[in-house]
Amino acid sequence: MSVAIRLTVNGERHDLTVGATETLVSVLRDRLGMTGTHKDCCMGICGSCTVLVDDRPVSSCLLLAAQIDSQSVRTVEGLERDGSLSPLQEAFLTFGAVQCGYCTPGFLMTATALLEENPRPGRAEIVEALKGNLCRCTGYKKIVEAVEAVANG
Amino acid sequence: MSSHWTEPEGEKFALGTLAEQAHWKREYRRIVEGVRGRLPDVGDAGGTVGQPIPRNDALYKVRGRARYAANIEMEGMLHACFVRSEHPHARILGLDTSKAEKAPGVRAALTAADAGEELIGTLVADTPVLARDRVRYAGEAIAAIAADTPAQAAAAAQLVAVEYEPLPAILTPEEALAEGAVEIDPEGNVLIALHNERGDIEAGLAEADLVLENDYAMAQIEHCFLEPPAGIAFVDPDGVLTVMVCTQYPHYHHKQIARVLGRPMDKVRVVQTVVGGGFGGKMDNTVEIAVALLALKTERPVRMVYTREEVFTATTKRHPMKVKQRLGATRDGKFTALDAEYLLDGGAYRSYSITVSGRCVIHAGMPYMIPNLRVDLTTAFTNHVPCGAMRSFGIVKTAFALECQISEMAERLGLSPIEIRRRNGFVDGDTTATGQTLHDVGLLKTLDALEPIYRKRKAEIAAAPKVGSLRRGLGVACLGYGIGYSGVRNPSTARIRVDGEGTVTAYCGTPDIGTGSDMSLAQIASQAAGVSVNRVNVVSGDSTKTDDSGPTSASRTTYFSGNAALIAGRDFRRRFEAAVAGKLRAPADRVRLEADTVTVDNEAMSFKEACRLVADEAPGIVGYGKFDPDIEADILTLKGNPYPTYTFATHLVEIEIDEALGSLALARVWAAHDAGTIVNPIGSEGQIEGGVAQGLGQAVMEKVVRENGYVVNPHYRDYLLPGAKDVPLDIECIFVDNYDRTGPYGAKGVAEVSLIPIPAAMAAAVADASAVRPARLPMESEYLLRLIERRDGAKP
Repeated sequence: MSVAIRLTVNGERHDLTVGATETLVSVLRDRLGMTGTHKDCCMGICGSCTVLVDDRPVSSCLLLAAQIDSQSVRTVEGLERDGSLSPLQEAFLTFGAVQCGYCTPGFLMTATALLEENPRPGRAEIVEALKGNLCRCTGYKKIVEAVEAVANG
Repeated sequence: MSSHWTEPEGEKFALGTLAEQAHWKREYRRIVEGVRGRLPDVGDAGGTVGQPIPRNDALYKVRGRARYAANIEMEGMLHACFVRSEHPHARILGLDTSKAEKAPGVRAALTAADAGEELIGTLVADTPVLARDRVRYAGEAIAAIAADTPAQAAAAAQLVAVEYEPLPAILTPEEALAEGAVEIDPEGNVLIALHNERGDIEAGLAEADLVLENDYAMAQIEHCFLEPPAGIAFVDPDGVLTVMVCTQYPHYHHKQIARVLGRPMDKVRVVQTVVGGGFGGKMDNTVEIAVALLALKTERPVRMVYTREEVFTATTKRHPMKVKQRLGATRDGKFTALDAEYLLDGGAYRSYSITVSGRCVIHAGMPYMIPNLRVDLTTAFTNHVPCGAMRSFGIVKTAFALECQISEMAERLGLSPIEIRRRNGFVDGDTTATGQTLHDVGLLKTLDALEPIYRKRKAEIAAAPKVGSLRRGLGVACLGYGIGYSGVRNPSTARIRVDGEGTVTAYCGTPDIGTGSDMSLAQIASQAAGVSVNRVNVVSGDSTKTDDSGPTSASRTTYFSGNAALIAGRDFRRRFEAAVAGKLRAPADRVRLEADTVTVDNEAMSFKEACRLVADEAPGIVGYGKFDPDIEADILTLKGNPYPTYTFATHLVEIEIDEALGSLALARVWAAHDAGTIVNPIGSEGQIEGGVAQGLGQAVMEKVVRENGYVVNPHYRDYLLPGAKDVPLDIECIFVDNYDRTGPYGAKGVAEVSLIPIPAAMAAAVADASAVRPARLPMESEYLLRLIERRDGAKP
């Protein structure tokens, strides 16, 4: 069974016919060619596929595209503005929060949502917000420091 | 055939148009200079080695532009998957793919009949590409399907009919070694047995005032790189079979694919894609041969991406290990003897078991001077997924046993855990158990750096009131670790060239697997060449562009490839100076390239101007560097000089244990490392912090659970990884001042070692806090609770 949906992805409107069981991550990667959103566990645990749906972070591997008809989706590709990195992207670069980079887009989206909702989170709030994203390379310290630096302006 | 490649073939990042590339290059420089202070444009006299320069690949990774293998799309591309064994040990009586081949979208089915007779494997080729008449573990590949979509391939795989005759499955090394056991390998069930001895073990034990005897056991660990293995193969119009794959060692696959497919080397190209974590797990065989064979069979590009479940059930693991060990010491804490027996579960094929085993034997007793030592190791085949290389090649486990026993010895003798290590730790001129004399040993400096912190926290914890069932404790553990392959030569090479515009390219054979090694090599090469680091592009991990310089593993890239880049950089500088001298008809010794400037007597021109001057000769100005230190060791006793240098460290950890729950938390870590000169402190800190996190995982939560030959927790839901709330932010990296005379600008290597001391230090801290001595990994709460209950039960 297929379903017609309309999604706004990073501000751009897409009219799509998707399978009833097609996940959002598949639509982003396989139909729209937006491969910045990564796939790993496909069980909503690792956070590699985190995107924002109506500004809230979700695991796009667990969400069916048909469930979010007419909603807005933001991905890592939508973070930069006019050829400049977002402050978070810049901080991830300068603080060494990126190693292999596979988890990076997910962390960026989770942290973006956090700072939009709470621009001045404390360290504990940052850690709490990031607990649903796994990183195997960095040990998290530099990721938390990068988010903290942006929060502290 | 339609294998159109829309962007430059082999580019690791979706770079965009030339204008976009130029824009982002400027952005990168602006960001780096603005936030971290100006990036110095200086040469050998004051280059960037030692400076925390942010990695340039991070720019593309934060933009979502990194081309991991699963992100590569090609026109007409097919999707492949494996059909895997349902039995841990069975004969294959029949295999029928006819139904699968007729399923919707299916373009090809591959079986052993398509794969030829050649076996594959890293050190010993012992593994069939696809199982032919027998499977040795549940999850072994038997067939592969290529179809128009991943779902069609997966559905068709279910239609492949395999007729099995189950055989008895050997599930432990003890069963494998028992008399009359079913033979897993044609050469028997002993995968490898090694022995080393120094001094007189019985005399050493007799001389001791105290001998401790303990058993230790450590569970199987999965690497859990977040990017599941993936690769894509296609044949280009010139007939070159290209395989793009996430790997730590593209040149290994290049040779193996050519051999197995019977294809000339120049008709095979292996390109490393951006690697989403390796940790030793991406040095082995995954998708490469299957996608190559399917691409040839279908004449279409073929991609395969593993599922997370496949990563758990069918990729190599860290060996489960048992250690039985006696350690003797005199009353004043001098070690007199170490008698160790290691028993490893190697799984169904050899993979890197021989390397892991050798490293365990060489490192027995490391980093301490123990005059009498005996070590016996046996690695047995079992019907489990093969065990291979993983960060530290087994040393995290042998170190767990040794360091736990030393901590216990210190307590029994009334010495501080730092003092007992100082009394026995290696110093310059000491010889290892294999007979190697050591140089530039910074171990005692790491102990000295931690001692004041240890004393201060010890007093503070003792003075603090105890809250409920929470207890705090401190633990210490050391490590010594050989850099590079064990006991065999493993040279690295580098080539450096320039164009008329002043862009310098360094071709290095060892690939960046996510650690930032390309950045470190750029820093070393630019400093040696006398040009700005901004000019240098590192090209690595492409079989047609770089030489085989071994894998990125064994903490060897900074040291081996760094030395090669250093030699190549200096060679380049000399040749460039000679070329400028030739153009200006000046004596060569009057021309100097330094700090991105060429000076001829008192006149100066920029490097870029000089490049224009020599533009017509630029393609011939190639600096070459090869680093191939003397390495020699006996293959059975490992006697000799197995490594060119060793890196050392001591970790001090503070833990909190809840004695009511048995839960164990890592609160703080002070990690003191002698890694020689630190090339890039952000990178080295990142390696250490990440190693601490992995050490924590192995210490308290990670365990592959196998039942009757099956992995029963093949998901993150049941195999727990440390998250942001588990890993402490209080990790202090201390780099002690040391210079390795054989390293590039004095550097050694730091990548693997930071995980090694964590489990042992945490176990010692548990003993400090709760007076129980864990001897098993992971230290799960049920286990710790049982130890605490036993302790309390033993009280009067």
